[in-house]
Amino acid sequence: MLSISTLQQRTGGLADGRTAKAGLVACVFLSALPTVRLSAQGEVDRLALRFASMTAVTGLEQPMVDSLRALFPGSTRDQAGNVTLTLGQGSPKRLFTCPLDEVGYVVGNILPDGFLLLRRVGGGGGGRGGRTASPLFDQQLEGHRVTVFGARSAVPGVVAVKSTHLTRGRVATEASAPDPVFTVDNAYVDVGASSVAEVQGLGIAVLAPVSLAKRPQLYGERLLAAPAVGRRAACAALAVAVQAKPKVKGTVVVAFTVQSLYASNAGLASVKALLGPFDDIKTAALPARYADTAVETVALADADRLVREIVQWMEGR
Amino acid sequence: MMAVRGSVLAVLLLSARPPVRLSAQDSVRISEAQAVLAPLVESYGVSGAEGPVREAVKRLLPAWAVPSTDTAGNLVVRVGQGGPVVVFIAHLDEIGFRVTGIRDDGALELETRGGFFPSLFEAKPALAHTDQGDIAGVFMPRDSGFTRRTPPPLRVDIGTSSRAATAARGVRPGTTVTMPKQYVRLTGTRATGRSFDDRVGSAAQLIALRRLDRAALKHQVVFIWSVREEIGLEGAEAAAASLGTTPRRVYAIDTFVSADSPLELPSFAVAPIGRGAVARALDNSSVTPPAYVDSLVQVARARGVALQVGTTNGGNDGSVFTPYGVVDVPIGWPLRYSHSPAEVIDLKDVVSLADMIRAVAETW
Repeated sequence: MLSISTLQQRTGGLADGRTAKAGLVACVFLSALPTVRLSAQGEVDRLALRFASMTAVTGLEQPMVDSLRALFPGSTRDQAGNVTLTLGQGSPKRLFTCPLDEVGYVVGNILPDGFLLLRRVGGGGGGRGGRTASPLFDQQLEGHRVTVFGARSAVPGVVAVKSTHLTRGRVATEASAPDPVFTVDNAYVDVGASSVAEVQGLGIAVLAPVSLAKRPQLYGERLLAAPAVGRRAACAALAVAVQAKPKVKGTVVVAFTVQSLYASNAGLASVKALLGPFDDIKTAALPARYADTAVETVALADADRLVREIVQWMEGR
Repeated sequence: MMAVRGSVLAVLLLSARPPVRLSAQDSVRISEAQAVLAPLVESYGVSGAEGPVREAVKRLLPAWAVPSTDTAGNLVVRVGQGGPVVVFIAHLDEIGFRVTGIRDDGALELETRGGFFPSLFEAKPALAHTDQGDIAGVFMPRDSGFTRRTPPPLRVDIGTSSRAATAARGVRPGTTVTMPKQYVRLTGTRATGRSFDDRVGSAAQLIALRRLDRAALKHQVVFIWSVREEIGLEGAEAAAASLGTTPRRVYAIDTFVSADSPLELPSFAVAPIGRGAVARALDNSSVTPPAYVDSLVQVARARGVALQVGTTNGGNDGSVFTPYGVVDVPIGWPLRYSHSPAEVIDLKDVVSLADMIRAVAETW
């Protein structure tokens, strides 16, 4: 199945005490529907690239929320931070969601010499609905550029790595030698500062969100690579479907949700509690190659198809 | 700077007290350094494929300079007349990969060019540099072996699904591969990018040439931008053989890999960034005669240029001139995180390095 999953049928979410653990039911959609114009393809590409360039560390999604609010002037931001908009009226009342958050980092400490240390947010698994990140997730930071989202602006930095030359003769090269993966505990972020005061002068404080610098890569035949691009391209497809002004059957609430990777998917639960109950709930998703890496890849042709499927679903066809 | 396999050398760090006033504090100078350096950093030139960088250097030369390219690919500019000849040499090339084969599924098989940690390229965007232009792709992440930092041999996916489709994009064995790079300013006068090693040296030679008082030269000075340093000083070897015993001294202008990082041992190479150029008195390929180091320090003081003195690892282009009786006096600039995609410099050091080159050319 390409895209849309049925999370629940006729669930009231937290309102009636049930959670969204219903089995995923495959939905079969017809492709190549004529109601979505070909011009949507360019818009999908543009929005997918734009969303993939953005950072929304789970629980700290405000900048992306603001961008979505600007994209959809009639939308609202609920208490949890979700962006919602309501299309149509009457029944049935259905919900289409897209999680916009990602596993990321926050500044955990600022050292006297101006280096920053990090704490990961999400990806730790556990019993609160979190997903376990790849064992190599943190290693993707090592020796690469990051962005620290300070109070005043986005600040470029890098994660320190040992110099190749100075390692010569100090590290055994045999295949059997210890070769531990890089973890977040080894991540020293260098923004070019030499003191705590200099860091603070950049508007950076503990809890400032941090992510790999986002530089989406288009390659092959409309393949798009970027961290968390599966989610972002799916959200772009949902946005384009809304922009296509479908003739909605009944009421469709569209929700770009926060904190899907933390605290038992609190964003979705909040939408259901505040705006439910819903007769049907679906979530936008796309298949991705190299998932959970910095080059997670989606085919934008799949996003085109997803747009058509969402429109069809909204129109009740 | 070429990464040399070798044992850790003894600590030697002499302090040359920086002058009270650093010429690098002039914002005009910082702007000039950045204007020359940034386009060089954003040019691609894996060892053996330095053409784009060589052309970028040519474009940045002063109008009076008459460059020539030798059979090895080194770019040469001669200034002044008479002997003894003095040589400055910085290298054009950068570390990266070369395609060794194309798999049935269209993916590229690679070999490394130069020394670096392959884990820094795994699961990152890639660029294949073909005759028809750059082809975007990704370095494929591993699908097993998640308990080790080092990945299996890297491959690149350019979005094709067959050998024929990949070949049709212009990729073939021998094509060089890197990752996209960008010069980015950090706070203050610091900056990050990939291949500062040795675009900083190349930029410093250009800035020195632009500011050179040609009337002050007492002898001929040869500026060389060399090729294939990272894979064994090959361009420099050709230049050294060509010049033979003619030069008196050679100044290798290359990275001083600094331990100025929380991840490094402070046992040597402790030349902080932002405190000026560094006399590379000892590395894995050369030992500078102490009298020359002392003399360099005196020149720096006389001209008010910030200069540190230290020892680091790696080799330098000047070392292959020594068999011809030429004294190698390498001068570097401190670099954090060498041979990584996130090297960090301080632009003040670029200025002081350029000023050292100019001072040596005009006064020695």
